[in-house]
Amino acid sequence: MKQTKYISPIFIVAVLAALMLMPTSCRKNLLDQTPTTDPSPTTFWLTETDATAGMMGLYAATRPCFDRDYYMDGQSEYFRCRGTSITGGNLRLGDAYNGGNFNPTGYGASFDNMYRYLYGAVDRANYVIENVTKMQAKGGALATSTVLQVIQGEARLLRGMAYFKLISMWGDVPYYTISPTSNDQVASLSRTPLAQVKDSILSDFTYAFNNLPLKANAVGRASKPAALALRGKLQLYWGSWNKNGWPELEGFTPSATAATAAFTAAAADFKSVISDYGLTLYLNGDPGQIDGLGKNDILPNYYTLFTPKANGNPEMLMVFTHGGTGTSQGEELMRDFSGRSHEGSQCWVSPRYEIADRYQSTITGDFVTPLVPMNPTVPASGNVARTALNSAVNPNSYLNRDYRMKSSIQWDFEQSVGMASLASTGNVPFIYQTWAGTVNIAGVNYITYNTDGCNSGYVFRKFLRNYAGQGRSDGDFAWPIVRLADVYLMYAEATNEVSGPLADAIALVNSIRRRGNLPALAATKTADKQTFFNAIEQERIIELFGEGQRSFDLRRWRAIERVWGLPGSAGLWRIDTWGANQQRYYQNTSDLEYKQNYIFRIPPGERDRNPNLTQNIPWR
Amino acid sequence: MPETLHLRGKIPLFRITLLLFSCLVSLFATAQMKTISGIVTDTAGTPLQGVTVSVLKSKAGTSTDVKGRFSISAAVGSTLVFSSANSETSTVQVGTGDEYNVTLAQRVSSLNDVVVVGYGRQKKVNLVGSVGTVNVDEKITGRALPNISAGLSGLVPGLAATQSTGMAGRNGAALLIRGLGTPNNSSPLIVVDGIPDVDINRVNVNDIETVSVLKDATSASVYGSRGANGVILITTRTGKGMKKTLFNVTSNTALEKPTKGISFLANYPLALTTEQRRAATNTLPGNQLYKNGTIDQWLALGMIDPLRYPNTDWWKIIMRDGKMQNYNVSAAGGGDKSNFFISAGYRKENGLQINNDYDQYNARFNFDYKVRDNMNVGVKFSGNWSNFTYALEEGFTDPAATNTAGFDMQYAIAGITPYDPATGLYGGVMAYGEDPQAYNPYQLYINSPNRQTRQEANGTAYWDWSPIKGLTAALDYNLIYYNQFNYTAPTPAQAFNFQTNAFGSRVYVGPNAAVSNTNLNGYKTLMNARLNYHTNFGKNHDLSALFVYSEEYWNDRFLSASRNDRYSSALSEINGALSNIISNSGGSSAEGLQSYIGRVNYTAYGKYLLEGNFRVDGSSKFVPGQRFGFFPSVAVGWRFTEEQFLKPLLGDVLSNGKLRVSYGGLGNNSGVGRYEQQTTLSPNNYIIGGTQAVGLVNSKLLNLDLSWESTKVFNLGLELGFLNNKLTVEADYYDRLTKDIILGSQLSNLLTGAFSAPNTNIGSMRNRGVELTLNWRDRVGQFNYGVSVNGSYNKTKLESWSQLLTRGATYSGNTVFLNMPYNYVYTYLDNGIAQTWADIYKNTPQGAQPGDILRQDLNGDGRIDGNDQTAMQASRDRPTTSYTLNAYASYKGVDIGMLWTGTAGRKDFWLNAFNNTNFGTSRFAVTEQLVNNPWTVENRSGLWPRIGGSGNNTALTNFWLDNMSYLRLKNIQLGYTFPKPMFKLLGVTNFRVAGTVENLLTITSFRGLDPEKAGNNNNIYPIVRSYSLAVQLGF
Repeated sequence: MKQTKYISPIFIVAVLAALMLMPTSCRKNLLDQTPTTDPSPTTFWLTETDATAGMMGLYAATRPCFDRDYYMDGQSEYFRCRGTSITGGNLRLGDAYNGGNFNPTGYGASFDNMYRYLYGAVDRANYVIENVTKMQAKGGALATSTVLQVIQGEARLLRGMAYFKLISMWGDVPYYTISPTSNDQVASLSRTPLAQVKDSILSDFTYAFNNLPLKANAVGRASKPAALALRGKLQLYWGSWNKNGWPELEGFTPSATAATAAFTAAAADFKSVISDYGLTLYLNGDPGQIDGLGKNDILPNYYTLFTPKANGNPEMLMVFTHGGTGTSQGEELMRDFSGRSHEGSQCWVSPRYEIADRYQSTITGDFVTPLVPMNPTVPASGNVARTALNSAVNPNSYLNRDYRMKSSIQWDFEQSVGMASLASTGNVPFIYQTWAGTVNIAGVNYITYNTDGCNSGYVFRKFLRNYAGQGRSDGDFAWPIVRLADVYLMYAEATNEVSGPLADAIALVNSIRRRGNLPALAATKTADKQTFFNAIEQERIIELFGEGQRSFDLRRWRAIERVWGLPGSAGLWRIDTWGANQQRYYQNTSDLEYKQNYIFRIPPGERDRNPNLTQNIPWR
Repeated sequence: MPETLHLRGKIPLFRITLLLFSCLVSLFATAQMKTISGIVTDTAGTPLQGVTVSVLKSKAGTSTDVKGRFSISAAVGSTLVFSSANSETSTVQVGTGDEYNVTLAQRVSSLNDVVVVGYGRQKKVNLVGSVGTVNVDEKITGRALPNISAGLSGLVPGLAATQSTGMAGRNGAALLIRGLGTPNNSSPLIVVDGIPDVDINRVNVNDIETVSVLKDATSASVYGSRGANGVILITTRTGKGMKKTLFNVTSNTALEKPTKGISFLANYPLALTTEQRRAATNTLPGNQLYKNGTIDQWLALGMIDPLRYPNTDWWKIIMRDGKMQNYNVSAAGGGDKSNFFISAGYRKENGLQINNDYDQYNARFNFDYKVRDNMNVGVKFSGNWSNFTYALEEGFTDPAATNTAGFDMQYAIAGITPYDPATGLYGGVMAYGEDPQAYNPYQLYINSPNRQTRQEANGTAYWDWSPIKGLTAALDYNLIYYNQFNYTAPTPAQAFNFQTNAFGSRVYVGPNAAVSNTNLNGYKTLMNARLNYHTNFGKNHDLSALFVYSEEYWNDRFLSASRNDRYSSALSEINGALSNIISNSGGSSAEGLQSYIGRVNYTAYGKYLLEGNFRVDGSSKFVPGQRFGFFPSVAVGWRFTEEQFLKPLLGDVLSNGKLRVSYGGLGNNSGVGRYEQQTTLSPNNYIIGGTQAVGLVNSKLLNLDLSWESTKVFNLGLELGFLNNKLTVEADYYDRLTKDIILGSQLSNLLTGAFSAPNTNIGSMRNRGVELTLNWRDRVGQFNYGVSVNGSYNKTKLESWSQLLTRGATYSGNTVFLNMPYNYVYTYLDNGIAQTWADIYKNTPQGAQPGDILRQDLNGDGRIDGNDQTAMQASRDRPTTSYTLNAYASYKGVDIGMLWTGTAGRKDFWLNAFNNTNFGTSRFAVTEQLVNNPWTVENRSGLWPRIGGSGNNTALTNFWLDNMSYLRLKNIQLGYTFPKPMFKLLGVTNFRVAGTVENLLTITSFRGLDPEKAGNNNNIYPIVRSYSLAVQLGF
């Protein structure tokens, strides 16, 4: 310790302190840690590959705003949605629909999530458009790149789709095309009038139409006919609003002239889709073969159309794709549409009893004698419900029906392929209220279809795969946004509005009927505008069952009163095949609630923050 | 060891002076003087070194050596005074003998108590911060504590240790110092032997010597951004000061029972009848699921055929007596050059739930060596290894939204046979009409356990050097490494119907069940370079200074994989399966923190105390420009009992008094993600051609102004010691303001569908409170006793909020409003259960029928809606008031102690899946209460609303609002220390046996499981009552 005498303590302190105050850390770049799994945007938006990746991100962000629209059918009269398989907070797993009320009434205040995610899709689209525009402005090969041109078209189409859904639910909505970088840029936007938003969407669809390829580059991407079909649909809706009025939307004045113009324009777009692109219905609209009652080996073409086997067929004009096992992009159709016997599915949705009588006879082409609901368990002895004529629990009552009936729903003793642990467990017969009971059919023992989710006596077959191998959340079905059959029916509707039943429109409706193996419409059904409209509506109910169209149709046609009765009336019961009352809707329902069913509520939380945002009339 | 013992140089010096002095004195000794010698020991017989021996009314004096020996010249008839800092003073009259052996009792409260503080130790009397300490003695280690966090309950005022579950492996208490400081991570920083980021629940209780709880800014500000919620410093044992190596062997075995459980109905026919009553509210008998025949059949056959007609008491099947065993061996010793502590421990817990097991092995080795007179090196190593088996994340439940079966316990119907040993089959539903998805929990717990093993190694090496007097330079390097492996490999099972002798449709675990593995590992390094300087100047001035430079770095990594289709269900490794269906994921993240820390302590005249601290933290979480936070603090203290002018006034009554004030700032960045402030694109892939296509989106809006959340703490403390410190009183008042709380901003919902809301410095929150501790310790002859009472009151209040707050606004599920506690009670008020239609008509129409709860129309607008809810000044999560009574007494070898703790001021709703009067119409596990409590026409005094009534019966009304106050006998302990002579020949120095009971008694008006539980109210894992026997042996 001698040395210490010669070293000033102050010096030692100073040296040590100086060492410690060294500006750099001992560990290199201690305070500059870079993210390990997410790329940085600073090196992005340079190549066509980048732009494509950005576009794919936009597709994946728009998809979940549409691919569970089947829940929306719960707001109509033939489809029950008792709950959902949504994982809260996860957009891909349905958060856009989260909190939604999917009952025939009282739903208008529950779509705040849909509102925000549709705007999320708008934001994503604007981001792509802005960055791709910047790339194109750089000149050179990028300026003339068809890849970028197509992406611009696709992004416009998706933006238009998001805004279209927004206006069809909320009427006037804020409209913007900037890609926001801060809250202030959008926080105080007010609502843009419906007509103006409609025009902007129309111009986006037109832009898309001009820039998209004749045929989509891949399944799940957009093409010219898709843009055209959607433009037609927008004009059909615009026509309906103008024809039928939308009194709940402040500032909207319907105009018969505008309606006619819109229907005419819609018809022209649909016509072009139908005739100019060589598109046909799936398997040329052939009904295909059908198995006997209780059998499921041979199912009609209409059934196959809604399984992944038909992915990429030309009838589907615009789809959002899904991936199977391991892709984390599966759809949950099976989980929602079938029961526990199918990979532990949950049967969140099921056909209501009332749909059954909507399926017409393949012999008469008209409605059959209504079914008679009968309880097969009382009295304990001498029960004839299984054999009585027209009994809803007698399978023979379902003979010779529209092929789309067997394709869409299952009644007692209909079978489907059960599956567990990705393997087939053999056929499971559906017998209402037996929940995995044992049953002997023609000498073979079965365990019945297990579900606690159905209260009508019917379960779905539509969207249910008849082969094992994928889990309930791992479906790879490409969800249709618009398909040719819908275009046929929309064309018929649009032309019927302008000029009454036209021969080509009747022929198109008949071609839809043909896949149900139904004869052509009788002359009485096309006699005038109203009866033809009824025939079109009938086809829309059957053809588009479970595809999320019906509740939008009911609203644009202002048909809720027609279907459910006037305000203050007794409403209607939904029953089951046994004759038990299940739910009654529109009993003594107020006029206000009807109005609230015609237009959705602008999210009040947003109005708290943004004083410029007005509320729709029934929600004030 | 990073403590800076500035006393280190002082004591020997004092001793040397004394020795010299006594030598000088002896030169002038007179002829009557004779040499007296002897040994001074403590009550346990251990020699005491450094005891001052002086002759009364003379200047002669000496002190004892390491063997406790002394030798002094004194005249016959004179009085020898034996005194030391840690012992009671004793006197001996010099008689004819030359040999006097003296036993000194330990001082009940010592002025020289040393308290561990951040980066050092300080004398308790000189402390100006608010620090609570717990010495982990044999009374604590004798308790059946799974971990130290649970053991801290009630011991330090202002520290809340809340036990929410008795689940083995997850039974650590949630620690919170002085109320909720921030909605972000509000847990205190845990520092073990100077090393932060140690899991407190994995530290072996038996290795711990002391726990210091740093509560205010001045004590915690050396931890800067890490200490905003207070700091808990744990110091492990060393062999310092021990001459002889001491071995300790302890064993603790406990039997555990639930404090309270849920009484699920084992009577299935009665459960079905209850379901019928539920259905009868809106369903015609013919349409009801359950038929009378089924119920009658079950009632009859259930008595003779339990396999086919079971009446399963699930709670009995899935519960068991818990067990905890804890064994430890340690050795400590030292010498002039070095000292060491080595220990090994094994803890085994068998939880109350079947297949919930946890065991942990601990090892620790502390060693230091004096390489030069002025230079020390040392290492500390600790490691632990645990094996953990559990069924669901909370035992019986799992609140994660991703686990759709997380609350299936409500579907555990009595009509399922859990398992048939004869056939090896697991039962499913059998009753006609019963939902096949009913739940067999036994099956799940047996076949689908989660398993987790975790290893941690924590090593520190240090070196210190004192080149000149008073100056110490030190360098510490620490590495914490962890490796955790989780796997599940469930055994396939299918529900069996013993009535039909066929498998039901429910597949509990499919034959292709996946094996899944997750591996987490990571490390954290810490480098500290430290300078200490201590000096005295003038006569009465004492100054010490500390400067630290510190770098911390975290790196965490995970990798997980799974495969379906195992070759055999017995296999649990990835390669034991086909690779048809696979999944995997992995990633890593890192964080750095660079800090400069400084402290100055100045003491004048032993009574004026001043302390200043600062810490500068730079965090990699923030963007350059916002990275560094500066957190200073200052404190002053006044030991007024040292003032001469006050001494006459205070007399002998007030022996010690200190007033201290501190104010300072702390920071927090726990609300910020590691890469949150950097722009990144996130994957959002699409499917093209059946395979994934890269999709990237921008989901971030950055807030480049985001900076540190900061806390300002004012603390006023008063410490008093009466009657020679037999009674000590410590009172603190604090005002803690958390500013710039980091939380997500509110975005327009035009943006929230695409962007995650950037964090912003959102508002401020204030915690104000008082703490009081009263301590009485005394001895009457051989009877030692003490009573300690402490209480604390804390009020949390939200003071400002930059974002819009509307009525009933919630943030991440917590109700938030200005001038209210965080997650305050927001509730409807009600007029009880409607008895008659007249009651209905008297109230605002709300769709009620007799038997329903009638809510009040608070705003009088003629309808009941959300605007009729009212706010209450009470938190749903935590109490405002906590109090403790801790008493002990010992007589000869017998000691007894007990600990009462209680809280008040918390209110919460008692609503969960198991007391839901609107339960499901099938597969519901009916409880006894649901049979007896609901209102019916025959049971008008029913405690609950009718079953199947209005949905509003389960709304948040004050009907279900309970006062969560409780008083609990946390612990009672009876010990016996065998007298020394009995085992002396065997070399045994200490042998104690103790019996303890934890959570013996709880007094509360809460109707649910346990008032101490917080969090998910469906979590039904009970808190344990344990009966244990501890054997503690030292030799």
